[in-house]
Amino acid sequence: MFFRMIRGAFVRQKGKMAMIALTIALGASLATAMLNVMLDVGDKVNQELKTYGANITVVPKQDAVLEDLYEIEGGDTAAYLREGELGRIKTIFWAFNIVDFSPFLTASAELDGGETVPLVGTWFHHHLETPAGEALDTGVQNLRSWWDITEGEWLDEQAPQSGNAVMLGASLAQRIGAAAGDTLRIRTRNGTEKLTVLGVYEGGGEEDDQIYAPLHLVQRLSGLEGKVSRVEVSALTTPDNELAEKAAKDPSSLTASQYETWYCTAYVSSICYQIQEVITDSIASPVRQVADSEGAILEKTELLMILITILSLAGSALGISNLVTASVMERGAEIGLLKAIGAQDGAVTALVLSEVLLTGLFGAVAGYFAGFGFAQIIGQTVFGSAIDMKPMVIPLVAALVTVVTLAGSVPAVGMLVRLHPAEVLHGR
Amino acid sequence: MTKRKLFFRMITASLIRRRSRMLAALLAVAVGATILSGLVTIYYDVPRQMGAQFRGYGANLILLPSGEGADFDLDAMRRAADVIPASELVGAAPFRYETVSIHNQPVVAAGTEFAGVQAASPYWHVSGTWPDASGELLLGQETARLLGLKPGETLSVVFRPEGSDAASRGTELVMTVSGILETGGSEEEYAYLSLEDLASLTGEDGTLSVAEFSVSAAQDRLRNYAETIQTNVQGVSARLVKRVAQSESTVLTKLQALVFLVTAVVLVLTMICVATTMTAVVTERRKEIGLRKALGASDSSIVWEFMGEGLLLGCAGGALGAGLGFAFAQAVSVNVFNSSIAFQPLLLPLTVLVSVVVTGCACLLPVRSATEVDPALVLKGE
Repeated sequence: MFFRMIRGAFVRQKGKMAMIALTIALGASLATAMLNVMLDVGDKVNQELKTYGANITVVPKQDAVLEDLYEIEGGDTAAYLREGELGRIKTIFWAFNIVDFSPFLTASAELDGGETVPLVGTWFHHHLETPAGEALDTGVQNLRSWWDITEGEWLDEQAPQSGNAVMLGASLAQRIGAAAGDTLRIRTRNGTEKLTVLGVYEGGGEEDDQIYAPLHLVQRLSGLEGKVSRVEVSALTTPDNELAEKAAKDPSSLTASQYETWYCTAYVSSICYQIQEVITDSIASPVRQVADSEGAILEKTELLMILITILSLAGSALGISNLVTASVMERGAEIGLLKAIGAQDGAVTALVLSEVLLTGLFGAVAGYFAGFGFAQIIGQTVFGSAIDMKPMVIPLVAALVTVVTLAGSVPAVGMLVRLHPAEVLHGR
Repeated sequence: MTKRKLFFRMITASLIRRRSRMLAALLAVAVGATILSGLVTIYYDVPRQMGAQFRGYGANLILLPSGEGADFDLDAMRRAADVIPASELVGAAPFRYETVSIHNQPVVAAGTEFAGVQAASPYWHVSGTWPDASGELLLGQETARLLGLKPGETLSVVFRPEGSDAASRGTELVMTVSGILETGGSEEEYAYLSLEDLASLTGEDGTLSVAEFSVSAAQDRLRNYAETIQTNVQGVSARLVKRVAQSESTVLTKLQALVFLVTAVVLVLTMICVATTMTAVVTERRKEIGLRKALGASDSSIVWEFMGEGLLLGCAGGALGAGLGFAFAQAVSVNVFNSSIAFQPLLLPLTVLVSVVVTGCACLLPVRSATEVDPALVLKGE
């Protein structure tokens, strides 16, 4: 009987039930979309902020600045990192957060005109097999996203004919009158070499006066096989807090549990610490310019999205409960009639609530998928990538819809049930 | 009683008699209007606020001397700074580099204005204090480590003019290390002191090597400023810091698009939600419509009456929502960006208008369908 009545209600009041389901679906889709976007926005914005380049630099421990201060070049006094160890960066605890990294080795080259220019060896588009068995394509093509290629194309050392190819900075190219496709003769400590200019870039900084070449070429020309002088790492990090600042000064000052929390959180300082653990005799330090602002922007964006989400949740909750109340109130006559022919209060309440909740279930399921669709639209349009489906959104939306429909219907049903059937039927 | 009076009485009476239903409708409209006004206010304000956050990346415009011997001094920098509206210029820092020796080791000393640096490069971490008096200096972390110096210690800075013979003693200045600078960049290799101290050390005012501007403006406008400075200020060449300016415009555009899309999705869904609630509220009054028609009311007068109600609800809900929405936007701004928001006067009529239109449209459909049906059928409840 109970089920027949419910079924009857759905069949007879199709339009009305559809309206309630639609409103609940709208509310649920709003909640789903906002929650999904909110939970993923941190990762997405973090990825976007990678356009600012590396946020960690790794240099050899031994007097990192000697070279800069005394302008010693190449010589045996300077310390180097080992190229063979670089793959280990992808084996640290937060390996998954390492987006890109690239080694640098600077030598100097004498051009035909007698001018000496820095020759920077690096990875452009390097294919790396990590010790953990993963493959990674990394290099300055990602780390220097702001470079404009004014002529030619990006160097790709994976291409077969890239042997002696280099890229020139725009100012340097203009000064010596070189263009893409030209051949350049340089003299280094290990003799003369012919280089092909594959592309010209404009970066807006000192790199515009430099030559960028594949790492192995510079290593060979300067006799430093297997050595690099600096590594830039771009990592996804969590904004610093007090613990991170304390740890950055001296990790040994932490208690065991603090240390564990710090080590297992992706703070820039803990990632630096972990890189130092795997690269022999290295100092990894955050690039404050990038790391600090990144943290601030991430924090602000997340907070903003949280507040907008709260507003939307409150809005959809009010909307749903409002409509449910209105639709229950209008059924006063029906409830009065049921009571007049002898229905118990409990039975009436159960009947109305089951109807509403069943409608809510349909609405919520439809709304969840619609909302997920909206989240994808936002993700694809803004970030050009899909928003992750977060499983925790499902119980949240389910709880929201249940609580809100109950909150909207229970007081209304209670009020109607308490009234005398005659009064309700009379329409007062 | 005139016709118009009756019209208003019917509308107000309906609102008062059916208090609970109308409250529900009003609530629905007000919630929609709150979300509308709150989100639109945030949407308009976010670019400004977010832009300010991006200034954490430091200078996005640098001035260089236009050539050898160009007359680039503090005055030229000030003239260039005047090109940029004060509200957009976050910070301006001059730098003059000279090689000095500390403890007989060559160190690059940079003369600057510390107030300007703090504004233009907020990412400089100083342990100890920033120099605030003559005779104090800020030492880069690497240099401090090499020289084994700590904040509070004194050192002597020696300057020997270029080309002078190595045995000459040069000029000497005894200074106190007030703080150690950490940036993770090449700044850690330098020593920073005030321009005045550097001038008294070298014995001449000298030209600036570079000046860094941190400007809160989009890339296009920044380019315009650079061109204006280039043409108007002698001896200066202005260049954009591509890395900062370009990345800022990419990321900021995305963030704005994000807020825009989120606003759009939330608004569309909320407005439909408001419309369905209004429709539900009106639909239940089919009997009333039938009764009126049976009593001889014309279709148009019924439609107008319902529209009148909708209008009143839309106005009241819209005005209420505009106020609440502003309060919400203000709370967001204070919590997220620590700054207050200006009330957009245009938003009040806009919110009311949208509320009225949405309520009106939502009422129109069910009323039309109710008036089209024979009153007898409606009253019978079919």
